[in-house]
Amino acid sequence: MLQLKNTPFHERTSALCQPQNWRKWAGYFVVGSYEHTIDREYWAIRNSAALIDVTPLMKYIIKGPDAARLLDRVTTRNIQKMSVGQVYYTGWCDDEGKMIDDGTVARLDETTFRLTAAEPNLRWLTMNAVGLDVQFEDQTDRVASLSLQGPSSRSVLKRVCESDLEGLKYFRLMKNKLGGAEVTISRTGYTGDLGYEIWMDAKDAIKVWDALMEAGQDYGITPVGILALDMARVEAGLFMLDVDYTSAGHAWIESQKSSPFELGLDWTVALDKPGYFVGRKALEREKKEGSAWKLVGIEIDWVGMEKLYAEVGMPPQIPGTAIRASMPILVGNVQVGYASTASWSPLLKKYIALAHLQKPYYELGTDVRMEITVEHQRKHAPAKVVKLPFYEPEWKKK
Amino acid sequence: MNSYDTIIIGAGHNGLVAAAYLAKKGKKVLVLERRDIVGGQVVTESFGDGFSVDSLHAGGTLRPDIIKDLKLASFGLGVDSIRKPFISLQADSDPLILDADPAKAAESIKRFSEKDAAAWPDFIAFMEKTSVFIHAANETIMPRLPRNFSITEGYGLAELGLDLRLMGGTDMMRIIRGIPMTADEFVDEWFESDVVKAAVASLGIHGLTLGVFGAGTGYALMHNWANRGGLSHLSVEGGIGKISEALAGAAKSFGGEIHTNAEVKQILIKDMRATGVVLSNGEEIAASNVISAADPKHTFLSLVGAMELPPEFVWNVQSIKMRGSVAKVHLLTDGKHGIPEGTVALAPSIKYLEKAYDAAKYHGISENPYLEVTTSGEVVSIHFQFAAYKLKDGDWKSEGAKVEKIAIDTLAEYFPNLKSSILNKKTLTPLDLEQTYGLTEGDLNHGQLMLDQFMFMRPIPGWSNHKTPIDNLYLCGSGVHGGGGVSGASGRNVVKVLK
Repeated sequence: MLQLKNTPFHERTSALCQPQNWRKWAGYFVVGSYEHTIDREYWAIRNSAALIDVTPLMKYIIKGPDAARLLDRVTTRNIQKMSVGQVYYTGWCDDEGKMIDDGTVARLDETTFRLTAAEPNLRWLTMNAVGLDVQFEDQTDRVASLSLQGPSSRSVLKRVCESDLEGLKYFRLMKNKLGGAEVTISRTGYTGDLGYEIWMDAKDAIKVWDALMEAGQDYGITPVGILALDMARVEAGLFMLDVDYTSAGHAWIESQKSSPFELGLDWTVALDKPGYFVGRKALEREKKEGSAWKLVGIEIDWVGMEKLYAEVGMPPQIPGTAIRASMPILVGNVQVGYASTASWSPLLKKYIALAHLQKPYYELGTDVRMEITVEHQRKHAPAKVVKLPFYEPEWKKK
Repeated sequence: MNSYDTIIIGAGHNGLVAAAYLAKKGKKVLVLERRDIVGGQVVTESFGDGFSVDSLHAGGTLRPDIIKDLKLASFGLGVDSIRKPFISLQADSDPLILDADPAKAAESIKRFSEKDAAAWPDFIAFMEKTSVFIHAANETIMPRLPRNFSITEGYGLAELGLDLRLMGGTDMMRIIRGIPMTADEFVDEWFESDVVKAAVASLGIHGLTLGVFGAGTGYALMHNWANRGGLSHLSVEGGIGKISEALAGAAKSFGGEIHTNAEVKQILIKDMRATGVVLSNGEEIAASNVISAADPKHTFLSLVGAMELPPEFVWNVQSIKMRGSVAKVHLLTDGKHGIPEGTVALAPSIKYLEKAYDAAKYHGISENPYLEVTTSGEVVSIHFQFAAYKLKDGDWKSEGAKVEKIAIDTLAEYFPNLKSSILNKKTLTPLDLEQTYGLTEGDLNHGQLMLDQFMFMRPIPGWSNHKTPIDNLYLCGSGVHGGGGVSGASGRNVVKVLK
């Protein structure tokens, strides 16, 4: 029988999870929400400090003299340029330039990297390593990880970390000691807020959890499930594999695949790096010819929503969590794309969505209409293409 | 630095055919050969005083249009006009002698089966039709299926389909059915005598690591028949090396250059485009195009390097089945070996052939091998199957002696004077084929002639039109469609693809 695994924090998270709202994530049980409504968890991300168990994220150690060459070949970033202690966000493609997965690459030392991924990628990595002196280790089970996100996250960490992390810049990492355990702390996250990810040996998981919870008490530290995280990541304009795009490895048909340009990752595609990397020819071609699609943010017009609901005598109805469903987007009466995740933003007080739009409708400021269902009837709410991210606090990178 | 329009890696017959055609078109061509002689597998070499042999192939003919286009006769190429018989040795009776003249062959067959003797002329007529089809197929540059399938690329294949259709319904179906068949099934539809069946079926496994019960050996039978132009070898006057010498002479006469002792170590690549080569002495030579006549595995994994290639392409190249299992034993005798002229096969029964193959299956050496023996005066050349490239026990540094002993002992049972006539010996193991002749895993065909590696799947699916993921790098060896045999089709076709 295929059994879902519990993360090393299960002893703590299961005791706190009131609604038994468990979600499946990459073969693990994780908490969807700790409370019956997710408001407090959402606001912890934006106002104080949210503690999120992100252990199921795939973690690969790539080690050896050719580790940098391998990652330079596999990912679209210029890994040779990376300094030790730096973290890159990157996608990786098949040779047709279509995204397989995305994650972060951290350079732990000159010849050791950690790659995170949403899905298993060991075979793909191995296939790319022919003739290279490089070893792989899947550390997903062995290394536990916590994400501490929110404006107070630094203050909490400073109380409990042995070495000062004041100088730890955005997308950098450091070794540290926390609650008696050796940890690696990277200034990364999936919320678009100030935040850190803490990596530790699975056996130290409870120690680190307890130390953080204790240190964060005065700051209102709150264990947060992945439903609130899902809302925050939409505000941050961050997409998710299998929700907002389909891996080229799993797509049934060509049109399900997306290139990094189509996902708005232009800045991660280092076409100036030398030599071959996987997908290069196709990406060069797309760069020259332009992309057929773009992932953009759209803001649904509230007054327009009100009008549609007024017809049936109701105020606008918005679900309390991010909606992972495909919603057609039209210009005039022609469909020009679809939204893949939509969410109410409690902070912005706006109904927002990540949307895939066809050329030329993905240009900023384009007026579109998104399909919504008002009392079982299809309606089209006016919306506008806006810049991503929807929300970016000044303290994110400070 | 010297710069060429085209550099060709390897002076085998395909490389030389390509070189000659390109030079004839006025291109500046350089052929680089790692050995000190040209010819690749198509060589006549001396292994001692009076011990001159056709090292790997006892015969072969380039396609007539190539001989004509390149005026090879004027460069000393002559083909023996009389095809000698195919002689199948029998333990308990006189051998079956299949003369090139169907009527004469039928006489010999009669001793084994009246029915088979009657069927023989029809069989020969059918095989001649299959040869027309195989040659037409080899002339067709295969579309890149399943990718990039377009009307333009598919046109050649459609034309080939038409050729096949025009043969008439019965023959078309028989050829199509024959492709996936086992050699055993193929001959079973024509003959009742095991002796006759085995003699013909042996051609379906010649040079392959498959037994006569292996699917697709029906295709290999047709393929080898077409390349030989019959069941027996057609030898070349003065040795098969004359083919290569004539090709080299033609290429040079058109202004082509050929450098021997010039081993290519690396294909230079810049921005996913081939720009030249590096020799093992470090010398760099630039070229607008590079054509590799080396096998696809060596070309991509050693000369290009996996880092320059898409991962799935690398995986496909790694998956090409090479697995050679042919050894050659050459004997210099005092002339009293007693072996008749012609292509003498030890292929007495279907089961014998299949059992010989068992050894290769289990990474060993056949104790009772399938042999094909040719003589040229005092020299006896034995083609030995099966001797697996990858041995379960021992290695090829020592096991060559075992192959030699088995070959001589086996043959001496039919020719008692053989042993006492031997003056000198030279054995070529699968490892020698790799190290001396540059054939990965000792595979004569640059990749087994199997159904999943033929036509538009040769060398790998999606890359069957001589092109590669590296711009300006092309393939033209036996590992590409048209290859496998001495026809020169692959070398001819690459020139059509090259811009």
